[in-house]
Amino acid sequence: MTVLAKLLGLGLAVAAISAAWAAAASLPFGSNKLSSGSAAVTACTGLSSLSATRSVNNAGNVTQVSVGTIPAACAGETLSITLVGSGNASLGSSSGTVPAGGGAMSFSSFGATVAATSLLGYRFAVVGA
Amino acid sequence: MRRLVVLLAISGAACTSSAFAATLGIASWHLWTGSQTLTKSSCTLTGTSVTTDTYADEAHAGDNSSANTMKVAPGAGSQQWTFVRFDLSSCNIPSTGGADTATLSLRITNAPSTDRTLTVTPVLSTWTGASLANFSGATSLTYGSATTTFTTGTSNNVTKSFPVTIDVDALIKSSTANYGWRITDGGSGTATTTIGSANNATAANRPQLQISYEN
Repeated sequence: MTVLAKLLGLGLAVAAISAAWAAAASLPFGSNKLSSGSAAVTACTGLSSLSATRSVNNAGNVTQVSVGTIPAACAGETLSITLVGSGNASLGSSSGTVPAGGGAMSFSSFGATVAATSLLGYRFAVVGA
Repeated sequence: MRRLVVLLAISGAACTSSAFAATLGIASWHLWTGSQTLTKSSCTLTGTSVTTDTYADEAHAGDNSSANTMKVAPGAGSQQWTFVRFDLSSCNIPSTGGADTATLSLRITNAPSTDRTLTVTPVLSTWTGASLANFSGATSLTYGSATTTFTTGTSNNVTKSFPVTIDVDALIKSSTANYGWRITDGGSGTATTTIGSANNATAANRPQLQISYEN
């Protein structure tokens, strides 16, 4: 019985190690080197703020949102924009890859019709390697 | 005791896996989040200080920019086109802003005997009352695609309001291109629609542009 219990414990330990290894191997940044868990996640160089302007159709619905002045260092990263309404609720969202050289990006599909009168702000996120 | 051994073994494995995960280059990824808050305001424009309006009469030459009313009529040789524009500068809307809604209201002081459909079209080149004194001055202007239409009804002294949001939004973003709108009757017949102008003695009869905007 004692031997059986030890074998069982050893088996569980091996399984746990294997699972951890497999999970780590499935991450997309597999061969990158170590940074400690406490290191800060930074923005792409030069990105301190973003602003957007939108166009409307004659019914007053948002047809396009343009985000300007994206630093070139953000090229290849993903810019996500959320159209925010009352109570900080999401009215719609969109995302795209920052083009080479940065600059401006335009979004025209938000998953829902958004009335300009309901639009009270934007939330931005830029994520990438 | 046995259970303790098993627990220690599992804990050791978990620590090992945590240590391995910590070797991944997660910190080399970028993440930035931000937000922008929009401010909502409104502005109403009416009266001679902010409105320029007139009508061009195909059958009768003359500067009609001082008239109390404007006319819209169809028919080759007797067309009458109304023109109206507003100076948005008093609203102090920054060019980074935009119109949420914009509503143009026109007062029909004398309605035609039959309901007419009038077309509202943005004007893309400059005009004055004098430049439209001859109808050729109106036909030589450039125009955009029709913004909207509205029906006159047959009752006098009725205000017709319709959206011109897309045009005002464009005007806000490009303050140099404010040439207003042309109102026409593309139908047949001789029915005339009379609209109050900015010079009208009755304030309620004057054209009005209401803008709700963001900045």
